Amino acid sequence: MASLVPYKGPFGKAELIHLLRRTMFGVTKSDIKTLLGKSMDDVVRQLMVQPSQTTKPLKTYFTTTNGVKNDNLDPTIPMGSTWVDTPIAVGANPNPNGYRRISYKSWWTGLQITQTLSIFEKMVLFWHNHFATEDSVIDSSQMAYFTNIVLRKNALGNFRSLVKEITLDPGMLRYLNGERNKKSAPDENYGRELQELFCIGKRAGAAFTEDDVKAAAKVLTGWYVIYQQKDANNVTQNVNPRTEFAAANHDTSSKQFSSFYNNTVISRVPKTGEEKLMAEREIDDLISMLLGTKECAKFLCRRLWTFFVYYDITPDIETNVIEPLAEILRQNYDIKETLIALFTSDEFYKPINRGCMIKSPTDFHIGMLRQYGFPIPSNTEAEKMEIQYIFYAQMRNHILNQGFDLGDPPNVAGWPAYYQTPSFHEMWVDTSSYPLRKTSYESISRSEFSTGTNVFFDANKNIKIKTNFIDFVKAFDNPSDPNDLINEAVELLFGVPVTQQVKDQLKSTYLLLGQASDYYWTDAYQTYIANPSTSDPEAKRVPQMLIDLFIYMQGAAEFHLC
Amino acid sequence: MKRRSFIQSVPVVVGGMTVNAYAESPFLSAVQASLGDTDRVLVIVQLAGGNDGLNTVIPLDQYTALSKDTIRKGILVQEDKVLKLSGTNNKTGLNPGMTRFQQLWDEGMLNIIQGVGYPRFNYSHFRATDIWVTGSESNEFINSGWAGRYLAYEYPNYPVGFPNTTVPDPIAIRIGGSVGLGLQNQGVNMGISINNTKDLLNLTGTLFKDPAPANQIGKELLYIREVQRQTDKFGDAVEAAANKGKNLSTLYPKSSPAEPGAALGSALSIVAKLISGGSKTRIYWVSTGGFDTHANQVNASDHSTGTHTNLLKGVSDAIYAFMDDIKLLGLQDRVVGMTFSEFGRRIISNGSGGTDHGAAQPMFMFGTKIQPGMVGVNPTIDPASTANSNLPMQYDFRSVYASILKDWFCVEQPALDDITLKNFQQLPILKSSNCIPTSVHDEHTAAGLNIVYAYPNPFVDRTNIKFESFGGHTLIQIISNEGTIVKELINSELDKGSYTIPCDLEEYPSGIYYVRLQNGTLQQVKSMIKVRA
Repeated sequence: MASLVPYKGPFGKAELIHLLRRTMFGVTKSDIKTLLGKSMDDVVRQLMVQPSQTTKPLKTYFTTTNGVKNDNLDPTIPMGSTWVDTPIAVGANPNPNGYRRISYKSWWTGLQITQTLSIFEKMVLFWHNHFATEDSVIDSSQMAYFTNIVLRKNALGNFRSLVKEITLDPGMLRYLNGERNKKSAPDENYGRELQELFCIGKRAGAAFTEDDVKAAAKVLTGWYVIYQQKDANNVTQNVNPRTEFAAANHDTSSKQFSSFYNNTVISRVPKTGEEKLMAEREIDDLISMLLGTKECAKFLCRRLWTFFVYYDITPDIETNVIEPLAEILRQNYDIKETLIALFTSDEFYKPINRGCMIKSPTDFHIGMLRQYGFPIPSNTEAEKMEIQYIFYAQMRNHILNQGFDLGDPPNVAGWPAYYQTPSFHEMWVDTSSYPLRKTSYESISRSEFSTGTNVFFDANKNIKIKTNFIDFVKAFDNPSDPNDLINEAVELLFGVPVTQQVKDQLKSTYLLLGQASDYYWTDAYQTYIANPSTSDPEAKRVPQMLIDLFIYMQGAAEFHLC
Repeated sequence: MKRRSFIQSVPVVVGGMTVNAYAESPFLSAVQASLGDTDRVLVIVQLAGGNDGLNTVIPLDQYTALSKDTIRKGILVQEDKVLKLSGTNNKTGLNPGMTRFQQLWDEGMLNIIQGVGYPRFNYSHFRATDIWVTGSESNEFINSGWAGRYLAYEYPNYPVGFPNTTVPDPIAIRIGGSVGLGLQNQGVNMGISINNTKDLLNLTGTLFKDPAPANQIGKELLYIREVQRQTDKFGDAVEAAANKGKNLSTLYPKSSPAEPGAALGSALSIVAKLISGGSKTRIYWVSTGGFDTHANQVNASDHSTGTHTNLLKGVSDAIYAFMDDIKLLGLQDRVVGMTFSEFGRRIISNGSGGTDHGAAQPMFMFGTKIQPGMVGVNPTIDPASTANSNLPMQYDFRSVYASILKDWFCVEQPALDDITLKNFQQLPILKSSNCIPTSVHDEHTAAGLNIVYAYPNPFVDRTNIKFESFGGHTLIQIISNEGTIVKELINSELDKGSYTIPCDLEEYPSGIYYVRLQNGTLQQVKSMIKVRA
């Protein structure tokens, strides 16, 4: 067996940028400044640190009748406080569930936009795509949030724990009908996807059988979700969803698996009073059986490679990356150690693996916001949170329009761009989504975004924000030199370098407006920076020149790669 | 090549004169063809999720078995609520949601093909979908869709030199979602995708034309550039057709408040509008989801209502409205449609009030040019069916494709077998073939720029690849039908010019291969066939 060759080359700016582009959403000048000069091992380890996360989705929603605002959605929860621990009142009218789901998605989008220097948010997205659930199908804001917390808790932890927790997660039990899977009438849905989509895959090496699907379904019988209970007055109340076990619905017979699983038999003798524990042990046994196959770790490593590097798993990649990486993963199913091995491997830094990935809508859009420093206010007072949530919702809609509805993948397999041969990532950009991308990048670059007038707190009305390209280029090393400015813009924004000829054309067309001398830009820029309200006709045009330059650069195929 | 002549029942206007009497004459057909708006259209409606065929086309003669507790009593539609199909001796009926399909049936515009499937079923949504859209065997992995292969046969030079005066429109359009494997040929999208709700934007040219490296980075760079180019060029044609076209039917399901089938109806109304606006697009692909009914597929208190009934009502209402529109627009002789799902569902229902992934399913064909009626028979339900029992296959799904290709698109042998990958039984699902010779196929074949091909073709062991390079980096690869690169003949900088290079496939098995040329932003793929000596 080949072993994973570690990267031994120089770890300079280009390597750092490649690493950051793949592990975060876009790369910012400030990210580079913080990390440049550190060793690869230090940087990779730093990226594996899970940020301490304290925020929860907040209530910023209300209804309006004839222009009058009503605080009648979740009336017991104050504006700007979280709803996640409060069940929705039975018969609540209007029902806040839909508003909560939007709040939940806004919260998540906000965490992506404000991500710290860590791979964490990208891993949460990886697992959301891997253990895909659809909020619109689960139709419970609380369950959707709890599923997300399971992903967050285990994102950089242990795959074994993650599989177990997701198997018994209320949202997943509902999404794949686990809550209806009973001894008297097994439902194969989860038992199938646990193997086909979550742990084993369906390549040639994944030779599980239809009987294995049925046997797994039997192991998983008896678990269900409690979301309502009678209170002391015998009135039904909604409660925080939780998973429960009904021994009568559990199939205690021996479950025989095929030769693919070494003819494993799973059975636990039920003991009175310990039925639940025994059923949980069966799930442990099932997961051990799945994770014990050679294919499981290889399957996951292929998923990681496809998500983080490139989709073409050649025989060479299979032998020299997937197999040795799977060996590392298989030791303890430690996700973080596996990622460290991947991001310090020679293969990851090979030139052909830099810039070959088509940005997903999330990468594309969140990356732009981060890179440009799109100025969503970060005030944390409860009343001001409304502003953030409005802007997060606007940004999420942009991403949704491009084909990525965070929290609502197309189906249980996640987004086709991560699995559909032969196109994979190419599916992010086609003749229908490309014009929407274009609309999106143009408005982020050019338009003013506003909270509008439909706000709960009057002080939050008409708060306006806009990308400021002056601030963006001010942070460059030498923005008054048009050559340096173009070089640095290309380095930051393009996944693939462009020739000097293209750079010269960009400079001459957008910064020199057809003039021959570089001084034209230098003078105009310096005059504008010294006095932004200058009346100098050339200097006054500087902000618009930058908007035109960056919009034009966004139309390059190179901008859509990372 | 041949195409079908025109049926006399529809008046045709020639030079301001309505002509009925000559409608069947080849002469008039030729005139009609030269008017340029006679191209045949196929509308593919994909029901994503796996449709429960037994609750769709319902075998009323099997109720003794079906209504058993152990079979599907829990979800079976009440016998008196089933929409009985005339002429079936009350043996076959439709789901109560499908009143419009019952109407289509009565009007002679519906064909039902029972028990469509393939040997050795696959129960994975994703793998089964791939099998259906590629037309592969269950254990075979293919990089091209069945429709994509047809389009590559009809328009071999696509996308190089397209659009052009002969073919000004996209050759296939997917509405909503990405183009998809079904409309691809060896990695090349043979169609474009358009949004279900928004107009395309005009996209402008670019100065970013650095040469793409000959590796995976260059591949993706070229891919995006090609999308940008196509969005731009075909965008104009689609917009022009949309502006010129119209919808006349008032029957489309409403979107606000949403009625079942609203999204599908909206997609189909775009299809009708584009065809009426003069678009020559051959294949439209639309999709509607939600058929993965593992749980609660019917209302427990009334099995004639519920999720699955609503889904079918949506499909039936939307397609009926579309055909109504097409007839009002006078386009009914040009359009036929088909539905398919990745699989049917299990015979017995599960404990969740739903059904798990199954096997064979009924397919529908619709239009005035389909052969009305039913192909195949009701399945026989074994009263001792178990959780593993599946409906048996009566017809291979590729027989449906082969019949459409032969009787609608007038594809003849040996091209037919090349597209369907082997010989399949023909089914009487379209009105008896009337294909007559025209030059339309030849015009399509010549359209665009022919910049790479094999000669001779077919060949025994060796052939030559003839190609044009416009200068700069040029890549020529030979690809197997499974998508593996078996040879790389050229990967270097060339001067502008015409070239011929030998290609030796002696050591490889006979079958279909593809030669792919990449030169700058251009990419062209042609098939080549190695035969036994």
